[in-house]
Amino acid sequence: MYSQEIESLLKSKKIKVGDRVRIFKKGNKYEGLLMPRIELGDSSSIVIKLDNGYNTGIKFEKGDKIKLLKKGRAIKFRSARIRLVKDTHKPTVSILGAGGTIASRIEYKTGAVFPAFSPADLLLSFPELKEITNIKGRKLFDLFSEDISPLHWQIIAKEVAKEMKKKIDGIVLMHGTDTMHYTSAALSFMLQNLPVPVVLVGAQRSSDRGSSDNAINLLSSVLTAAQSDVAEVTVCMHGNMSDDFCYVHSGVKVRKMHTSRRDTFRSINVLPYAKVWYSERKIEYLREDFRRRGKGKVKLDDKINPNVGLIHAHPGIKPEFVENLSNFYDGVVIAGTGLGHVPTNPRGDKFVKGLIPSLKRLIDSGIPVVIAPQTIYGRLQMNVYETGRLLNRTGVIGHNCDWTPETALVKLMFVLGKTKNMEKIRELMLTNMIGEISERSEVKTFLM
Amino acid sequence: MGKKKINYKRIKLKAGLEIHQQLDTKHKMFCSCTTKMREKEPIKIVRRKQHPVASELGEIDIAAQFEYLRKRTFRYQVFSNETCLVELDEEPIHFLNQEALKIALQIALLLKCEIPNEIHVMRKTLIDGSAVSGFQRTAIVGLNGCLKYKGKKVEIMHVSLEEDAAAIASEEKEIVTYRLNRLSVPLVEIGTDILIGYNPKEIQEIAYLIGIICRSTGKVKHGIGSTRQDINVSIKKGARVEIKGIQELGMISRVVEKEVERQLSLPKVNEETRAANPDGSTRYTRPLPGAARIYPETDHPPVPISKNLIKEIKRELPELWTKKLVRFKRKLKLSDELAKQILRSKYLELFEEIISTKKVEPNVVASTFVSTLKDLGRREKVKTSKITDKHFTKIFGYLAKKKIVKEAIPEILKYLAKNPEESISNAIKELDLKPIKKSELKNIIKEVTSQPGLTFDRAFGIVMSRVRGRVEAKDVMKLVKKSIKS
Repeated sequence: MYSQEIESLLKSKKIKVGDRVRIFKKGNKYEGLLMPRIELGDSSSIVIKLDNGYNTGIKFEKGDKIKLLKKGRAIKFRSARIRLVKDTHKPTVSILGAGGTIASRIEYKTGAVFPAFSPADLLLSFPELKEITNIKGRKLFDLFSEDISPLHWQIIAKEVAKEMKKKIDGIVLMHGTDTMHYTSAALSFMLQNLPVPVVLVGAQRSSDRGSSDNAINLLSSVLTAAQSDVAEVTVCMHGNMSDDFCYVHSGVKVRKMHTSRRDTFRSINVLPYAKVWYSERKIEYLREDFRRRGKGKVKLDDKINPNVGLIHAHPGIKPEFVENLSNFYDGVVIAGTGLGHVPTNPRGDKFVKGLIPSLKRLIDSGIPVVIAPQTIYGRLQMNVYETGRLLNRTGVIGHNCDWTPETALVKLMFVLGKTKNMEKIRELMLTNMIGEISERSEVKTFLM
Repeated sequence: MGKKKINYKRIKLKAGLEIHQQLDTKHKMFCSCTTKMREKEPIKIVRRKQHPVASELGEIDIAAQFEYLRKRTFRYQVFSNETCLVELDEEPIHFLNQEALKIALQIALLLKCEIPNEIHVMRKTLIDGSAVSGFQRTAIVGLNGCLKYKGKKVEIMHVSLEEDAAAIASEEKEIVTYRLNRLSVPLVEIGTDILIGYNPKEIQEIAYLIGIICRSTGKVKHGIGSTRQDINVSIKKGARVEIKGIQELGMISRVVEKEVERQLSLPKVNEETRAANPDGSTRYTRPLPGAARIYPETDHPPVPISKNLIKEIKRELPELWTKKLVRFKRKLKLSDELAKQILRSKYLELFEEIISTKKVEPNVVASTFVSTLKDLGRREKVKTSKITDKHFTKIFGYLAKKKIVKEAIPEILKYLAKNPEESISNAIKELDLKPIKKSELKNIIKEVTSQPGLTFDRAFGIVMSRVRGRVEAKDVMKLVKKSIKS
C-alpha cells in the first residue's frame, strides 16, 4: 500500500495499478506502468515499471505531478485451459494442497507472480506428470506452514481419508516445508491401516525460478504415490544438492535440518525408505520394513489434545518457568541435553537451580513430561549419569527412546487425545506405534 | 573484391551500445564470496536441471522451453572461497553489496544520470543455465545521463548494477559445464540511446570514453573478460541486429564495419542476435528475443537512496578520466594512442606516480608500460609479471639520474624477469649497461670512421653494435654524422 497521501491522489486522478502513467519531477519525466507497493520500503515512493522492464521507485514530493496516459488491463490470473484426458492404463494420483506454492505463473508484463493450483495448472507447469499418471487435485487451504496448527492436521487427515474413498492409487499432499515434519508425524498417527501411499512434498526454493526444486520433488512424490509399495505417510524431498534423486522418508522419523538447502529433510536415526530416480522413473528401496499397499480401508483416528508444549532445556533455565507450564499445557515435551538431561544439581552448586522439584510437581499434578534429545540424533539413556537417574525417577517419559522432539510432541498430543491416565499415557508413549521409536541404532544412519 | 568507401551518413547507420564492466569489489553482489576468480580446481560439482516457469507468454512457448531444458543438464563447478550456497541457489541472497552500489552510483553520477529514490532489484530470466537460479539480478541505479563527444551530447539511457553470469567451462552435447566463480561478480551495464550520425570509428571512441569514465572510479576489474560490449546495428530500411560479447574495445569499429557490409550484401536483413568472433566477424546465434523477461526479486527489499548518500558520493567523485586523457595529451605530450593505452593499462597508477616524482620523460615511461612490456612478453616470451612496482620505480630513478639510458630498459627488464631477486645495480653491472663516457664514445667513433669507404649507415651500425644500451641512439647518430662529415 502507498502512503495515504498518494493513495488519495491516485484515487482523485482515477489512476489504478497497471495504468500507464507519467511522473513529472523537477524537470524530469518518468513513464511506465504503475506498480503496486510491496510491504517493504518507502511508501511515499511510487513504483513504476519502465519500458525496459525494470522497476524503479520515485519519491513523490511536493510539486511533483502524475498524469494518467492510458488505462491498463486489470491484472488477473487465468487458470490454464488444458483438457484433462484420462489414460485408463495409468494410475491415478490425487494431489491435495495445504499451502506452499509448488507451482506459480509469472506475468512478465507486470512482474506479478500468481500461485497456480488446479490440475490443469499443474500440468501446464509440469507436463511430465501426464507421462506417469492421471492427476486429480484440489486445494484444502493455502497457509504458510508455520501457520499450520494441530487443528489443520485434523482437517487434512479427514480430507485424505475422504479422498481415499475414490479409486486412487496414492495421495500427494503439497505443504510448506517449515513444519512439514510435524504434519507428517500427525498424519502418521491419525491415518491408520493405509491402503495406498500418502506423500508430503514441498519446495525449498520458490516456484517462480527455473532452478526451483519444485518440479523434481513433485515428480518424485507423484512417482512414489503412483508406483511405490510404501503405504505409509512419507515425506519426499531432494536427496542432495544436485537434481539427481529424492528420498522417501518415514513421516515420523524425518526432520527439516537446514534453513535453506534443498536437501534439508533428513531421516533421523533410520534410513529413508527409498530413493526416487525421477528421470529413470525408478524407485530404489533402502528398507523393507514398511507397510505395503493393500485393499483394506483407512481408519481415521483424529482425536488429539493440542495442549502440549515443547521447550528446550538449557543452562540457566528457570524452574518457575517450567512449573508454570501447567497453566498452559496438559503435557510437556522437554528437549533435553545429551542423553536426555536437564539441570538437576545433585552436587548442590550455589549457582544452579535444578528442575527436579518443579518437574515432580508438574507430573504429580497430572501433566506428563516427555523427554526427547535436543541433539536430534541418537537415543536417550537416563541411567548413565546421576543427573539422568534423578530425572528419570521423577517419572518423566522417554528413557531409551530415539524419537525427534517434534514427533514426541505430536505423539503426546495424540496420546492425550485418548487418555488422561498417567500410567496409560506412559504405556502408550513407550509403545512403538508406527516406527517412531527404532529398535536398533544402525551405524550408517548418522548425518546421511 | 575492391572495397568501396561506405558513406555511413547516407546509409543511416544507427547503433546502440551496451557496455558491461566488472567492478573490482571485495565481495560478490549478494554474498561474501571473493571476486578474485583465481581458483583453478573445483571442490565439488553440482548437477542441476532447469524447469521453465509458466507465464502469460503462452502454452506453446512453455512447451518449447520445456523440451529444450529437459534435454539439458547443467554441471556447476564449485570453488572453495569463490562459491557459497547463495550462488548455488541454496540460500537466499544477502543484502546488496554496498561497495558495488557506491561504485555504480559513482559511475551513474559521472555519466550525469538521475538517480532513482529507491532501487528495485529485478530478476532477468536466463534459460541457458549461466545463472544457477535461472535469472540474473539487476537494478537500475541511473537514468537519462549523457556524455560529451566531439561537442555533441551522447545520451545514456540507463546505468544498471547487475550480477555477472557464470562462465562456460565446456559444452558437450547437452551437458553444459559452468564455473561458478564469475557468477554474481558485480558489474555495471551502461546502455546508450541510439547513436545516429556517427561512423564506426566514432562509435568505438564513444565506447572507449564510457569505458574510461568507469575506470575513473579506480574500482573496476582489468584484463580479459572484465569488459564486454554488446552493440545493436541497423541501417536504412534494414532490421535491428544485436551483436553480443565483443571482448576487445578496439574491435568495435571492425565489428560495425563488417556488420554493415554484411547487411548491405543481403537482400533482406533479419532481426537476430549474433556473437562476435575474435576477428571482428560475427556468427548467428538466435532470433532477436522479445522484451527481456524481467520480474521483481522478492527476496530483497527496495533500497532507498538518500539525498545524503548522493551528496556524499558527489563530494568524493574522482577526476574524470576523460579530463585525464586531455591532460596526458596536452601536458605530458603523449600521443593520442599512447595516452589512451596508458589509461587502460593496469600500470596507470604507477605511471602517474613515477612521472610526478621522477624527472623522466612521460613518453618513455608510458611506452615502457604499454609497448616494451608487451613486446617482451609477446616476442621474447619473457614473464614480465615477476617485475615489481619497486623495480620499475628504481629503473626510472636510475634513468632520471642518468645512470642508465632509456635504451637499456628492455635489457634490464628482461634480466629482472628472470632474476627477480637481483638488484638493478647488479643487473647493470652484469649486462654492462653503464652509460659510456662521451670521450670514450668519441674514441670508438673515431676508430670506426677512420676505416675508408664506410657509408653513414654502415658506420652507425658498427658503432651501435659496440655501445648498444649504453648510450642514446640519437647521440650516436649525431656524432657519427659529424665525424663522417669532417
